[in-house]
Amino acid sequence: MKYKTLLCLTVILTYFNINAQSRAKGLEEKVQQLTDMTSKQSIIPLNFNKFKEYVKSPPRDYSFIVMFTAMAPSRRCTICQHVYDEYLVVANSFRISPSFSDKLFFGMVDFDEGSDVFQMLRLNTAPVIMHFPAKGKPKPADSMDFERAGIHAEAIIKWIQDRTDIPIRIFRPPNYSGVIAFAMLFVLVAGFLYLRRNNLEFLYNKQMWAAIAVVFCFAMVSGQMWNQIRGPPFFHRTKNGPVYINGGSHGQFVLESYIVAILNGAVVVGMILMIEAAGGVKGTDINRAQDGKRRRFQSVVGLVLVCVFFSLLLSVFRAKTQGYPYR
Amino acid sequence: MPTEAEAQHANVRNKGIFNNMTGFSTLITVTVLLLAWLAGFASRLFAVIRFESIIHEFDPWFNYRSTAYMVQHGFYNFLNWFDERAWYPLGRIVGGTVYPGLMITSGTIHWILHTLNIPVHIRDICVFLAPVFSGLTAIATYLLTSELWSRGAGLFAACFIAIIPGYSSRSVAGSYDNEGIAIFALQFTYYLWLKSIKSGSVFWSICTALSYFYMVSAWGGYVFIINLIPLHVFVLLIMGRFSQRLFVSYTVFYIIGLLLSMQIPFVGFQPIRTSEHMAASGVFALLMAIGALKYLHSLNPKRQWKQLLILGGLVAAGTVFLAVVLLTYMGVIAPWSGRFYSLWDTGYAKIHIPIIASVSEHQPTTWSSFFFDLHVLVCTFPVGLWYCIKNVNDERVFVALYAISAVYFAGVMVRLMLTLTPVVCVLAGIAFSILLDLVLKEDEMQIAPVETEDSKNLYDKAGKLKKRTHEPAPVDSGLGMNVRSGTLIAFMILLMLFSVHCTWATSNAYSSPSIVLASYGNDGSRKILDDFREAYGWLSQNTAEDARIMSWWDYGYQIAGMGNRTTLVDNNTWNNSHIALVGKAMASNESAAYDIMTMLDVDYVLVIFGGAIGYSGDDINKFIWMVRIAEGEHPKDIHEADYFTERGEYRIDSEASKTMLNCLMYKLSYYRYDSGGSPAGYDRTRGSLPGNRGFQLTYLEEAYTTEHWLVRIYRVKKPDEFNRPRLPLSKRKIVTSNNLSKKTSKRRKGLIKNKPTLVKGKKVTKLE
Repeated sequence: MKYKTLLCLTVILTYFNINAQSRAKGLEEKVQQLTDMTSKQSIIPLNFNKFKEYVKSPPRDYSFIVMFTAMAPSRRCTICQHVYDEYLVVANSFRISPSFSDKLFFGMVDFDEGSDVFQMLRLNTAPVIMHFPAKGKPKPADSMDFERAGIHAEAIIKWIQDRTDIPIRIFRPPNYSGVIAFAMLFVLVAGFLYLRRNNLEFLYNKQMWAAIAVVFCFAMVSGQMWNQIRGPPFFHRTKNGPVYINGGSHGQFVLESYIVAILNGAVVVGMILMIEAAGGVKGTDINRAQDGKRRRFQSVVGLVLVCVFFSLLLSVFRAKTQGYPYR
Repeated sequence: MPTEAEAQHANVRNKGIFNNMTGFSTLITVTVLLLAWLAGFASRLFAVIRFESIIHEFDPWFNYRSTAYMVQHGFYNFLNWFDERAWYPLGRIVGGTVYPGLMITSGTIHWILHTLNIPVHIRDICVFLAPVFSGLTAIATYLLTSELWSRGAGLFAACFIAIIPGYSSRSVAGSYDNEGIAIFALQFTYYLWLKSIKSGSVFWSICTALSYFYMVSAWGGYVFIINLIPLHVFVLLIMGRFSQRLFVSYTVFYIIGLLLSMQIPFVGFQPIRTSEHMAASGVFALLMAIGALKYLHSLNPKRQWKQLLILGGLVAAGTVFLAVVLLTYMGVIAPWSGRFYSLWDTGYAKIHIPIIASVSEHQPTTWSSFFFDLHVLVCTFPVGLWYCIKNVNDERVFVALYAISAVYFAGVMVRLMLTLTPVVCVLAGIAFSILLDLVLKEDEMQIAPVETEDSKNLYDKAGKLKKRTHEPAPVDSGLGMNVRSGTLIAFMILLMLFSVHCTWATSNAYSSPSIVLASYGNDGSRKILDDFREAYGWLSQNTAEDARIMSWWDYGYQIAGMGNRTTLVDNNTWNNSHIALVGKAMASNESAAYDIMTMLDVDYVLVIFGGAIGYSGDDINKFIWMVRIAEGEHPKDIHEADYFTERGEYRIDSEASKTMLNCLMYKLSYYRYDSGGSPAGYDRTRGSLPGNRGFQLTYLEEAYTTEHWLVRIYRVKKPDEFNRPRLPLSKRKIVTSNNLSKKTSKRRKGLIKNKPTLVKGKKVTKLE
């Protein structure tokens, strides 16, 4: 009896010993493989087997950041490309950063190569960036919230530091596209001027400059800058058909701002028509040759334009502003 | 307000008839300007009439406090004032960190009135300063527009700016802020600049520099002037409009303006050390180079020199630009500061400076707020711009640049609507004046030649076209009575609508002191909620003289101004980490917050809670910014995501996250809260029932809550107050062994142990 127990114990002990050994070996091996892969490619592409082996199976002492995405053009995921670019910046920065270690790896699962993984994790959207901690299961905070944090590399490293306490300093490959675009534009303008060097009269065309300035004013006054910064939808679709005008005074749609710009423009055109009909400003050429009938017609058209479009503008404004008492 | 519009038209109409009578037109001009002043003053008094003569909002309270200090202690003591009541424990050197123009202006008025033995309290001067200055702004705008176009346009512009909401938003009675006087200084500087560039006289340039000096002393927006004027000069150079006048006026203005602006302690050496001012220096150097080249050219005016001139100009421009860039890289010149940089890179502030992004004034502008602030002018000012560019001359280049830059800045930031408003008034005044001038004057076509006198002064190219105006108009080309009267009526209606809108907007949107709130009952009766002053009054009466009050920075100036107590952070948000520390205290749980509060020596905590009356600007609604700012400095301890629900919503009811329900701000807001309608404890602002109720506070105790729960003040307990275990009454008796009754022989009173017994005739043995 006594011996039996002892034997049992020995057997169990030996088993665990062997087991532990094999496990430790597996871990080292895995880390070694991962490090090799990382040195080749900063983001490790994963399929179902690899994902199971490196990310899911237990002997791990490293964190794994995995991006789930659908990069194939047929999937038509435009944001995936943006996220991928930023993610690549992060992974590359990590590789050259002083905090580089084998405690953190970056991986990627493409839907077309690892749809099983998507099923396993019950993911039905892409892109998703998830963190698989060294110990325990991923919590809800371990998948990154693009909506709130944004997709910038800065946001991603902040989130990574939040989850893993590994600070990464971002290193972007210097972006020359802006400089190149600017230089191209400059060269184009210069070339254009050079080609037209015998006929630079158009630069003195005040009407053109005036038109440019006025159009710029319309763009600003109709809130294009707000659109640029806030990125509102083009218009809002509801069950009762599309809505073009945002109901609140603190928001607007892109289409709405175009409408407002057109209304403003119509009022301005009407007023200019009236002024020209009435004889124009001293110093500009006055069309004395025009007969009175035509001038009267032009003037009335201008007046109608001003009145109609201004009252339209006012009614749109009134619809947006609660408690506005005037029409 | 229609009065001055009437007078306005009367002027335009009479101008033709009484043209030779300068006296008459001057009379009309003066009358209209006076009426505009009066209308502007009157339309800004809504707050005083509805409430009382009180300083509004937040920043004005600091300005008022420092003005009062200056009046009491004198100007030099004011410059050296170290305010230990702010930014505890750091303090603030007020004299060196403030634009003193506002205080000096009202201090001077106070001094003059008191010299004349008119005893007016300094508070009333401060309250009414901005409305009075709006009249001066109207006059400055009139002058500016007359320089640009005609006197009729000037009168229109003056009337517009007197009542336009975009300007009255910052200058209602009681809004005692820098902008109130700065817009006057801005317009006046521009007027003097145009005057000097027209005349090329040193006198006007020096006047420009002096006016610029006043602007620098009044508002940080002077940077707009010191960039716009060089831009004007630069564009004139590109257009080939270099002249001796330009050279004299700009160089004189630049040198004197630079020296004068450096006299303001707060500005100091910035004009030669920062990128914001480098445009002015660069243009100065460029102008010098071009002047030299021109001089060389004048020595030998041959054809081939001209190309050399252009080439030399380009080389000089390139050199200046490279020099500035190089100096910036070497660190001699500081790069663009974040506040200015965020105007160009619009996403910058949101990522890097949450404290700027948190202020609602720094948001971009929707079209409806443009329309709200400018009404009909928003769609008529492009007409003025159109004609200014079509009939371009040196001055009109300026106004076009002014309009384009201002409209861009206003699009980026709501707050900069203020710089757009004057130019919109100017251009819309020009547009209206052109149209009504033409429509009203047709009958007097025959006396058109008289008008050409004006046009000779006003337009560069008038000479070419002068012949045409002399031609008598064909009889049949008139517009006809019907069209003209129709136009007239339509535009009168537009102007009426404008003035009605302006009055409504000023009255409803911009005339709330935000210190005294008003609520209206169903029957239209008005109820004044005076909780803020109640709380600050309580602080000043019931707390120790040196008590430290912790609150979010919005209320710092008010606590200092009305409660006269030390604050930790205030509206002068110069120290982000200190603000972040306060934010961290508010966002932590009670015990962690207590550590921070003891570290900062906090005695009282003040929170604003609007749940009982549905006041939306309270601290819970601002709380997410506190978290963000705190997270920026302490990313280890505060995580924004913890304060949202799993689905990323910001809630306070039982669904809310645990961190949210247990943070200090939450607890201080909802502690013992049982008002707000049914069910008791309902939060009207958020429209939900708080998720954590009936809790106890360990480290703080409620000190005071105002009538409508709007302001809640808590006292921070001292360590000995909460560390003691609370004993039931029965155990509080100290159990003593009743030794008094135990009168053994040894324990009698005055007994010494081992007392040697004295026996007569025996030697005393030594005590062991």
